[in-house]
Formats: sequence, structure tokens, C-alpha cells
Amino acid sequence: MGLLEFEKWSNQPGLFSEKSRFCARLRGLTPGQRRICRHHKDHMPTVSAGVRKGIEECQYQFQGRRWNCTITSDETVFGPLTLIASRETAFTHAITAAGVSLSISRACRDGSLASCGCSRASRPRHLHNDWVWGGCGDNLEYGYKFTESFVDVREREGKVKRGSREQGRQLMNRHNNEAGRRAVIKKSRVTCKCHGVSGSCSLITCWQQLATFREIGDYLHEKYEGATEVKVSRRGKLRVGNPNYSLPTPQDLVYLEESPNYCIKNETLGSFGTTGRNCNRTSPGIDGCAIMCCGRGYNTKRAVIKERCDCKFHWCCRVDCNICVKTVEIHTCK
Amino acid sequence: MTGTVLENLSGRKLAILISFLLACLVMCFLIGGLVAPMPANSQTILGTVCRDRSKVKNDTTKWFYNRGIGKCETVDLTEAQLSHDLSETDIVFAFQLPLPREGMKIDYSRWQQNLIGVLQMDVRYHSSMEVTRQSTITIDARLAYKNKGDPDDAWKLYTLSREKRHLDCDINVKIEGYLYNCSAMPLFELGSLYHDYYLLNIRLPVETKDMNAHIGHIEDMWVTAINQNGGFTKVWLSLKTVFFPCIVGILVWFWRRIHLLQRKPVLLEEMLFALGIALCVLDMPIEYLTLVFDLPFMLLLSDIRQGFFYASLFSFWLVFAGEHMLIQESKDKNSVRKYWRHLSAVLLGCVSLFVFDMCERGIQLRNPFYSIWVSELGTNLALTFIILAGISTGMYFLFLTYMVWKVFMNISHKRQSLPAMCSVRRLHYEGIVYRFKFLMLATLICAAMTVIGFILGQVAEGQWKWDDNIELQYTSAFFTGVYGMWNIYIFALLVLYAPSHKKWPVNENTSDTQNLSEEIEFNHMPEKSEISSFTSFITKSAID
Repeated sequence: MGLLEFEKWSNQPGLFSEKSRFCARLRGLTPGQRRICRHHKDHMPTVSAGVRKGIEECQYQFQGRRWNCTITSDETVFGPLTLIASRETAFTHAITAAGVSLSISRACRDGSLASCGCSRASRPRHLHNDWVWGGCGDNLEYGYKFTESFVDVREREGKVKRGSREQGRQLMNRHNNEAGRRAVIKKSRVTCKCHGVSGSCSLITCWQQLATFREIGDYLHEKYEGATEVKVSRRGKLRVGNPNYSLPTPQDLVYLEESPNYCIKNETLGSFGTTGRNCNRTSPGIDGCAIMCCGRGYNTKRAVIKERCDCKFHWCCRVDCNICVKTVEIHTCK
Repeated sequence: MTGTVLENLSGRKLAILISFLLACLVMCFLIGGLVAPMPANSQTILGTVCRDRSKVKNDTTKWFYNRGIGKCETVDLTEAQLSHDLSETDIVFAFQLPLPREGMKIDYSRWQQNLIGVLQMDVRYHSSMEVTRQSTITIDARLAYKNKGDPDDAWKLYTLSREKRHLDCDINVKIEGYLYNCSAMPLFELGSLYHDYYLLNIRLPVETKDMNAHIGHIEDMWVTAINQNGGFTKVWLSLKTVFFPCIVGILVWFWRRIHLLQRKPVLLEEMLFALGIALCVLDMPIEYLTLVFDLPFMLLLSDIRQGFFYASLFSFWLVFAGEHMLIQESKDKNSVRKYWRHLSAVLLGCVSLFVFDMCERGIQLRNPFYSIWVSELGTNLALTFIILAGISTGMYFLFLTYMVWKVFMNISHKRQSLPAMCSVRRLHYEGIVYRFKFLMLATLICAAMTVIGFILGQVAEGQWKWDDNIELQYTSAFFTGVYGMWNIYIFALLVLYAPSHKKWPVNENTSDTQNLSEEIEFNHMPEKSEISSFTSFITKSAID
């Protein structure tokens, strides 16, 4: 996922020219991804923006929890978290796949990605005739397909022994990526317009309206809460760990290993610990100091902050706010 | 005089004819389902937010677009709210139609006939400014066009307008960062897709204090452009090209048939002829002209043609039922005037639909952005006309069912006196009853199929999903099938209800011995029109 640093480069001129070798310079790409990158250079800024949006959404969804989707600055992005096959790993895969898929679909719709597909078939031989004859398919599908090839290629590379832990990881990641991509489609809304004789509904045309990423994030968060623990069978298939549980659908998230409690810093488990995190003293919930600090107690600091308040928004570009000065207590875990 | 072709046709010939017509009908369905693509196609385009740095904002030669040389400077509206040097008049939403695909610049073809634009807004929730559920948005919309070979910046003004639209938004989760759920707004309708590329520039002006003040924080604007599919137009036009000469041919044959008779044509024959002409008008493939000329009135014209056809079909049914029921008082020819009360329902319905159509699509000829539903007066007016049309349709069908019911009552009542008659006369009257029942059956089947097809289409569209990978285009099959069905129906009427020529071979030996017995039985019938013979039968049995 070395795509994050891509944003720094994307202003360089001539980046997408034939000779540009930026795909080779991106860190964190697998050989298969490099190949796709070379073929679809213009997609990369969009992919990168999608990954970033995915991470932002992840951090929004998990703010105030022990695990708060902290990212590292190296190419692994999620740092040591990716070493274990926990629920959180499952969520990060799903949300980034969803981010990329949504970004690509959006970019197709504003015309900035010229190479978006036309129909289900691979490139039609007479594109213009096809377009006149039956129009072009939906870009939602293109976003799904591209993400499938670009993100999943990672999990297809490298030989692994059937039934091994590594193969389990690959299967799990692929399943969760799929769940993320499907969330984009699942949350999109259908809108229709009647345009028959005299505007009657004898003829209706419908199209997909993209959902906002927040909606997709909420949906995936629900899926995170209801994720299923699976095992990898000797035949190299994922199986439900507890036979009493129902089978996960392609929309559900799956994980292989139980999550650590994320209380103390443990690099091998992908836990950054909660020391230094802010907590809410009065909340009995998960963001409350009792749970967040894992019983270690907290420090309290008094601070004076200035913030904008009573804002009045005017189309398009003006926000009139007052400045309020507040004294607040900030609690941080020991 | 003998009856119509229908009665004089042997069962075998009738079966052959009907199965041939049914085969044609099945072919129409299959052509629509297997060859034609779906009738219309849509492209959703995300508006590019451009920054207009010019001082004069109403310069219609300045266009903003996001692809090609001279593309505009873009602004991100999520961050824009923080920059203070930006004013609302600087913001232009640009939509360049159509979108490129597969790395190629695709353009509209004239085969794609028409273009309908629908506008959708993404309004972000801010606790500091809640949007009222119903608000009015003022849009400054400008449409430009360009053709293949023109330079990237050679946009020419097509039309511009300042329009109001109802923005209907609601929200479930009131948290920052969530979007309102806003309904789609119809934006424009182009009756002809004459040019290759279109460009839409939308501004949201703020000139008075109230203008666009309560529309919230618009984050994105989407325009969905719906156009007819070229493939569908091609299939549709080919059908028309085939049907048109067939109908014209059969119409000429029908009219010659009538003129060969000694008598003047009766009302029913005139109605049938009028119906044939209405179908000819509907079938005339004048859409070919749109491939060469810019004809924005095509959408309106096709509505009018369709309306004209259905009006004459409805009138025909009324007159047909009436002519089989009326007890003739005078020997004069029945005229349409007798049916003015019944036909006024048809007329009223058609006129109100016509006025409504003129108000919407007629004005759109001048201003494609016009919508009758925006102003309160327009909404009331439109609703009045639609309700009027609905009421008259209801009245019409009440009339029709009443008349048909009366005819059936008459028939079953008078039938009891049939056995008392001589066999020739009885056979003749039974023929007339048979003729009526045949048309009733055919009409009911056609109407039922249209209604069922329409309902199925609505259900199928309602459950529209992204992943539907069906090869059969149901909607297209419905359109071509129903269209073919009414063509074949009227073709069959013209053939079967034309006066039979078998009145001449009085004592000749025809080679067709099979039909001989039937022919002879009808040879000695009195020289009257078949309608009057039926009515005279009814009067006669009433006297009995």
C-alpha cells in the first residue's frame, strides 16, 4: 500500500507519460500490482486518494476506541497490525477496498478517468458503434472490476501451501476485500426517471447513485461488529469455526484470529497501546476512561481552547462564526 | 349483399391467416427482446466545480469545461468554505456530455434521438444550517454544443435560462458529514440530439437575500443524461419502415373494395378507414429526417401522433359497439354525429392531454429547461388537465362497457328467436354475431396484453438491480411487441372487415368447391348493408 506517498508526486509533470517509471518507484506494490500500475498509470492518483479516504473513514469509525486505526508512515501503512488476522485487519482491508472502488467509480463519472469501461465485455472492437447501439454500462461496475484486479492480485501472488496459515490469510483478505467492494454497490441507491409518452411512466430509466463514504463506513462498521471467525480447512477452504454460526455471506467480514485487547503496546500483535490517548471521564462506554485506559488510570489536564461556534453557513463559500473560549479538562490514559 | 370477408372465409383460411399474423406478432416480440437493446441509456456525470475569475459573469461566450485544452481551474468545495476570496458567483458546475470511455472520446449520434437531463444534489448536513424539507433553488443553466472536428474551446451557446426548481431533501441521521437525501430534479429535455458534444454550465446565483439562501451546503452536483439508444431507434425505425407500406397497401385495397360496391360506404367502414389513416400517420418513419435535420419538435410530434392514433382507436370501438346495437330509426346512413355524446369523452381526454403536452413539451421547444411543475399555477394547471384526461378515460370505459354489455344482452335476448327463422337468414345473423364476438375477443386479448405487459414492465423496472445479467431486453420486447400487436390488429381488421367480394359469383362454378356451399347460402341475401340487416333483424324479432 505504498500508494499514500503517491499524492506527493502526483503534481510532477509528465508523470503518466509512457516513459515514466513511477510504478517501479512506488514502494509496497507487489509485482502484479506494478504490472497493472504500468497499464493504468492514470488510475493511480485515484487509487491513492481512495486508500487515503478509506483510512480517514477507518479513523472516523474507530475514534474513541482502543484500536483507533493508527497508521504508520512506512509502506505497510497499517504497520504491524497486518501481521495478525484479526477483525481489525479484516475491517482495514474492506474499507480500503471500498475506498478504492468508490474513488474509481467517482472518477469515471466526472470524466477524469478516460479509460473507464463500456460494457461487460473486454474492450469492444468498435467502441463507437457499441456506444451508439446500446450505450455503455455503469461505472460502478468498472470500479468494482478494477479494484478486484488491482487489490486482489496481491493475495493471488506467491505460492502458499494449501491449508497453511498463509493461505488462510490470502483467502481471508480476498473475502474481506470483496465485502468492501460489495458494500459500495450495496449502499448505492437506484433513482429512476419516467420519460414515456407525454412524460408518463411507460418508459422508465434507472441509474445508480453512489453512496457517500460515510454510509459505506457505517455499513462496514456494522459488518465489523458481526464478523465471523473462520478456520482454514485442510483442503484450502475457509470454514466457520463454530458450526452453530451461520455461514458468512460475501458481504460479511471474516477473521482467523481473536483480536488482542490493544491495551499495551505490542508490535507483534499490531497494538499501539492506549497510553497517551484521550478519554472521556463521564462516559461509561468504550471511550470512557475506565475502559480506554484498561484500568491504569488517567492524567487530567486543564486547558483553555478557542473554537469556532454558532457558525452560520452561506452558499457557497462563507461561514460566519463566533469564537468561543472554553476551559476544558483533558484526560489522557497513563 | 354478402357480409364481410371474416364471415365468408373458410375456417381453414381463417386459421392460416390468423396463425400468420400471430407469427408476425411473435416475431415483433422476439426482435424487441433479442435484437434491440434497451430503449434508453443513461450516463451519470459528476459536476466539476470550476472557478470563474472573470469580472463579468453573464458573458455567454465564456464556457467552463473539464476536459481538453483550456480546461477550467477547479475548486474543491469541501475546503472552499474556508477560503474567503471565493464568492458564490465564481462557482460554476461544469458537465461535459458524453463521458469518455475506454480511453476514447465518444460523441452522441443522431440515432440517439433525444436527451433528457436530471439533476441531483449532494447536500451536506451542517448542524449550523439545517435545510428545510422543501426549498426552492434558483439555477442559472447554460447549454452549449460542439461538433466533431471543432477545437476544444469552440463551444457555441445552445440555450440559456434562469430556472427555479423544488429541492426536496430529508435526512435520517443528523450528524455532521452525512448527506441529505435529496430527490432528483428534471433539468432539461432536448427533442433532438443534433450535435455531437454538449456542455452544461450551472451556477447558483445569489442576487437577492432570499435567493438560494436555504439550500444548504452543496457538495456535489450530478447530472444524469438519458438518451434513446441508437440500436433501439434502428430496430424501431425498421419496424416502421416495414409496417408503413403494408398498412398503406391494405388501406388502398380496403378502400377500393368499398368503392367497388354499389352502395356508399357505411359509417363503420369509414371509421375503419380513418383508423387505418391514423395508423399510417403513426407508422410514417419520419424519424429518418432527424438524421439530417435538427428537428426539436420530434418528441412532441411523436406524442401527438400516438395520441391521434389512440383517439381514433377508442372512437372506433365505440362506433363498432354502437353500430351493432342501434335500432335503426331511419333509412339514412348513420353518421358520427349520432355518437357525439360518447365521443366527447374521447375528445375531452385527448384535448386535455394535448394541452398538457403543449404546455410542457411545447414550451420546451423554446426553452429546454422549462418545467411546468415548478410554479404553483403550472402544477395546478397540469394536474387539472391530467385529472380531466383521467376522468374522461374512466367515462369512456364506462360507456364502452355499458354499450358492449347492451349488445351482448341484445344478442342473447334476440337469439331465442333465431331457430324460428329460415336457415339462410339465421346463418347470416349468426355470422354477424360471430363477427362482433371475434372483434371483442381480439380486442380484449390485445388490450389485456398491453396492460399486463405494461404492469410487468413497471414491476421489472421497480426491482432494477445492478447485477441483472439478463440477455433478454424486456422493455424493448414490450415496446416492439405492443407496437406490432396494434399494427397487426388493425391490419387484421382491415382485411377481415372489408366487404367480401363473394357476392358476384352468383351462379358460376368456382374452382373452390369447398367454399361453394357457404357462398351460395349468402347469395340470396337482400341487398342491404350488413349493419342494417342486423338491425332490421333486431327490429323484426322485436315486432315478432
